[in-house]
Amino acid sequence: MYRQLAGATAMAMVLAGTAFAQEHDHDHEDVTLYRVFVGDHAAPRVTVVDLEAHDHEEEGHDHADESWTFETTGQVKLFGVAGGAVVAAVQSDDDAVHFFTSGISFHDHGDHADIEVSDPAAINTVLTGPRPFHLVDHGGSVIINYDQGGYAEIIDAHHLSHGEVEITRLPQSEPHHGFVARLGDHWLTTVGTPAPAEGKEAAPRPGLQEVTIAGEAVGDLATCTAIHGEAFSGAYLAAGCREGVLTATAGADGVVFDMLEYPADLPQGVTTGTILGATGVQVFLGNYGPNGLVVIDPADAPHFRYIELPFRRVDFVLDPANPAHGYVLTEDGSLHRLNLLQAAITGSAKVTEPYSMDGHWNDPRPRIAMAGDDILMTDPDAGLLRVISAETLEEEDTIALEGTPYNLAVVGGSGMTH
Amino acid sequence: MRDWLQCIAACSAMTFASTFAAQAEPLNVVATFSIIGDFAAEVGGERIALKALVGPDSDSHVYEPRPADAMALAQADVVLTNGLEFEGFMTRLIASSGTQAEIATLTDGIETMEEPGGGHYHYNNGQAIFHAGAHDPHAWQSVANAKAYVRNIAAAFCAADAEGCPVYEINATRYADALDVLDAEIRGLVATLPGDRRTVVVAHNAFRYFEVAYGIHFLSPQGVSTESEAAAADVAGLIREIRETGAAAIFAENISDTRLLERIAAEAGLTLAGTLYSDALSGPEGPAPTYLAMMRHNAGVIAAALDAI
Ligand SMILES: [Zn+2]
Ligand SMILES: [Zn+2]
Repeated sequence: MYRQLAGATAMAMVLAGTAFAQEHDHDHEDVTLYRVFVGDHAAPRVTVVDLEAHDHEEEGHDHADESWTFETTGQVKLFGVAGGAVVAAVQSDDDAVHFFTSGISFHDHGDHADIEVSDPAAINTVLTGPRPFHLVDHGGSVIINYDQGGYAEIIDAHHLSHGEVEITRLPQSEPHHGFVARLGDHWLTTVGTPAPAEGKEAAPRPGLQEVTIAGEAVGDLATCTAIHGEAFSGAYLAAGCREGVLTATAGADGVVFDMLEYPADLPQGVTTGTILGATGVQVFLGNYGPNGLVVIDPADAPHFRYIELPFRRVDFVLDPANPAHGYVLTEDGSLHRLNLLQAAITGSAKVTEPYSMDGHWNDPRPRIAMAGDDILMTDPDAGLLRVISAETLEEEDTIALEGTPYNLAVVGGSGMTH
Repeated sequence: MRDWLQCIAACSAMTFASTFAAQAEPLNVVATFSIIGDFAAEVGGERIALKALVGPDSDSHVYEPRPADAMALAQADVVLTNGLEFEGFMTRLIASSGTQAEIATLTDGIETMEEPGGGHYHYNNGQAIFHAGAHDPHAWQSVANAKAYVRNIAAAFCAADAEGCPVYEINATRYADALDVLDAEIRGLVATLPGDRRTVVVAHNAFRYFEVAYGIHFLSPQGVSTESEAAAADVAGLIREIRETGAAAIFAENISDTRLLERIAAEAGLTLAGTLYSDALSGPEGPAPTYLAMMRHNAGVIAAALDAI
C-alpha cells in the first residue's frame, strides 16, 4: 500500500541550493528604471522623466534621458497605484482625477521579476466629482474620497493596471474630509457630522465605521475624534485622532479596533494627522506637531516614540528598500535620515535653500519621494528635481523642469528583460 | 575609612561583576520560528540567549515582523532560518536591521522536495493564502531532516563561539540520540496500523516529508482559490479523493482556522480527529511545546485515529 501511495505522490527529489541561480544567466539584462511624475504648482500639467542609473562620470548634467508632458484640469497630488502600473492625479480644487499608465510593469516569476517598459500614457477616463481628496490604495482597491460629495469611489486595482476605470460608489452618511479603506473583506469609512448652523463651527469627525459596500453600518463606530490620515503596515490600518492613534486589523470575527492613546511623556496639545506605513517591518511614522514625528508600533509597547526635529517639518517619507529608514525635510533646507528602530535622526545634510513653513499649507514647498537608493526632491523655487543619495545625503544630479515643480510620485524598480 | 572600605567592597564587586559578565556573555541567537527555536535551545543550552520571532501556534507564512524583531536581529550573533522561502518576511527584516550576524540556513544539505504546484496554500480567517516556493519548506516534518537541522545549528554556533563549541557538540550529539529514539518510535507506531488505513486529511499540505519518511498519506485541498466557485469545485475534488482513497481521519491544525476543514469533514462524513502541529509548536501548556513532544503528539493522534475501527 505504501509503495503504491509513495509512487502516486510523484515526488521529485532535488538537492537544495542548486536552485535557479543559473537559469537566467544567458540572454537577459538587469534593468533598473525609476520614472518620476511631477505636478506643477501653478499650471495644470504633469511632467514625466526617467531616471536611468547614474553615471558618475558625467555628473551635473541637467537633463532627463526622456520626458513626457500631460495636461490636467488643475494642480495635482500624485499617487503611484496598482503596483506602480498607474499614477493617479487627484485635483481637489478642480474636482477631477486623471490617471496615467506609468509604462512600467513587473511580472513576478518567483525567483526574479521581469520588467516591461513602454511610454507613459493618459488613460481616457477622467473622474469628476466634488472635491476628491484622500486616495487609499490597499487590498486590491483604489479608493478616492469625495469630500463634498458624501461618497467614495472604489476602483479595482487589477483592472486599473490594464487601464480600465470601473467604479463602485460607496455612499457615506455626511460629506466630509475623510477616507474609505479596504481591510481584507471589510470596508471602513470615516464618519462626518451634519453641516453646522450658520456661524457655528462643525463638530469634529467622530471616528471610523465598518460599513457594507452599500454604506450600511456594521457594528459600532470606533471613536477617533477629528480622524485624519491613514496608512497600512503589516496587518494594521492606523489613523490619527485627538486622543491617540486608532488601529484596525481584520480578525477572524470581524474588524478589531484598538485606540493607542498618546502617552503622557509625549509633548501635549498636538496630535498625529499624517501617517506613513512601512513595508517589511510592521511600524508607522506619523507627524506629531509641527516639529516632531512619532514612530508608532501598533503591536508592542511602547507604542509611541517621539523624534524631535530641529526645525518645522516640510515633508517626510519612508524608505521601502530599507524599512528601518525614513527621511524628513525641515524648513531650514536640511534633509535628515531617521532610524525608526532607534527613533532617532542618524544623519543630516543641507540640500536646498530654506522654505519657511509660515503661510498656507499648499504654498509651493519641496516634496520628497524615494527612488531606490535615491531621494528625489522637487525644489519649486529653483525649478529643479534634485536627486540625492540616500546613503550619503549628497546631491547626485539635478533635472531642470519647467515652471514650479511640486508634488511628485515615483514608480519603477529593478527587473530583468529577456 | 568606612567609606574607603565600602568602596573596596563595592568597587571590587563591580569589577568582578563586569568580568564575569564578559566571560558569561551569552551568544545572541535569533531563530525565525518556534520549532527551530527549540532545536537551538537544545544545542545552545545555557550558553545562548534565544529569541524566536514567530511564536507558538503562529503561522510564519503570514507573519508581520515587528520593530522589536529588527532590533533583536541587529543585536544577534547568529540568525537561524529554515530557508526554502519559508520565512518570506526575512529578507526585508535582515535588510532593515542591518544585522552583521551569520545567517544560517538550516535546510542546507537536506534533500528537499519540489512543490508540485509551485507552492502550497494556507488558510487564515477563512481565506486561502498561496505561499509560493519552488521547494517544500516543511523539511522538519521528517526526524532525519531534524538531525540535519541540529548539525547545522551546532556548526553555526561553533563558528560564532569557538570556545563553546565542545559544549554545542555534546548537546547536539545527545539530542541527535533523542531524535533517533523518536524516529524509531514513530516507525513502530505506524507499523502497527492496518495496511489499508494510512490516509488522512489536513488543510495545509505541510506533511509531505512526514509522508515520505513514515508512510502516512496526507490529502489536502489543492489550489483552492478565494473565489468561492473555484473553492467549491476544489473541495468537491478533495471529497472524491477522500472517498476513493478511503481516507479515515481529518485533522485540524494549530496554525490554521478550522472553517474550511469543518466544511470538508461535514461533506465527507468525517469528524475532526484532533489537532496536528505543523509549522509551529504549542505553548508550554499545550501538547507540543517541544519538537519531540510535537512529533510524538502528531504521530500519536494520527495512529489513534487510524486505529480506531
Ligand atoms: Zn486630509
Ligand atoms: Zn506551511
